[in-house]
Amino acid sequence: MPTRSVTVGATSGLHARPAALFVAAAAAQSVPVTIRTSDKPPVPARSLLSVLALGAKHGAEVTLEADGPTADAALDALATLLARDLDSDDESPDHG
Amino acid sequence: MDDRLLAPEAVRLDEHAANRDDAIRRCGGVLVEIGAVDPAYVTAMLDREQSISTYVGAGVAIPHGTTAGKAAIRRDALAVVRFPAGVDWGGNHVTTCVAIAAQGDGHIELLADLAELLLDPERARALHEAADPDDVRRLLLSSAPN
Repeated sequence: MPTRSVTVGATSGLHARPAALFVAAAAAQSVPVTIRTSDKPPVPARSLLSVLALGAKHGAEVTLEADGPTADAALDALATLLARDLDSDDESPDHG
Repeated sequence: MDDRLLAPEAVRLDEHAANRDDAIRRCGGVLVEIGAVDPAYVTAMLDREQSISTYVGAGVAIPHGTTAGKAAIRRDALAVVRFPAGVDWGGNHVTTCVAIAAQGDGHIELLADLAELLLDPERARALHEAADPDDVRRLLLSSAPN
């Protein structure tokens, strides 16, 4: 199954706003994606509570996994988003 | 979770709000009252909500300020403000707000703990229904291994 390992780029970790942006992007994919940290089992990437419960900080490595014909494209899109510093877009309504 | 983060006087079980912004002002007002933030933080909380909803699920929202608003934080603190009549939160029904003032990244663990609590239907229900502020504190503070 296609996977991607990504380092969390958001300065303050995968917390409220970066997590909400990530979950919204995951929900927009046509295939279900899971996300896990090194010490926690995979959870659905489109569940905000599940993603928040991972408690992934800045610099933490997370693994995305998906299956299906568009899995690679979905994983690439989400991996790119996670690697970005979503906090630096903080006051920009373009990304909110 | 450090029990100083959630003071007994920061737990309000029976508040009323006409709408989401009103609820956020009420939450921010509690943080101001307990001396955790300056009034400017409340504006930062409203700004953040405009940018992206802080609704997390299970009838709970976690209003907090923007990065720019961190300058108005005096000390890290939480407030739990319940609205028994409910508040329309961009289409979601919210009855409990966990307002957050956090300068560092300590709130990542805090949010993770809260999320785990809310993923457990029994504990989520207890948070919404607790009749005693101490029960709310115990619920949130015991959600993290010390």
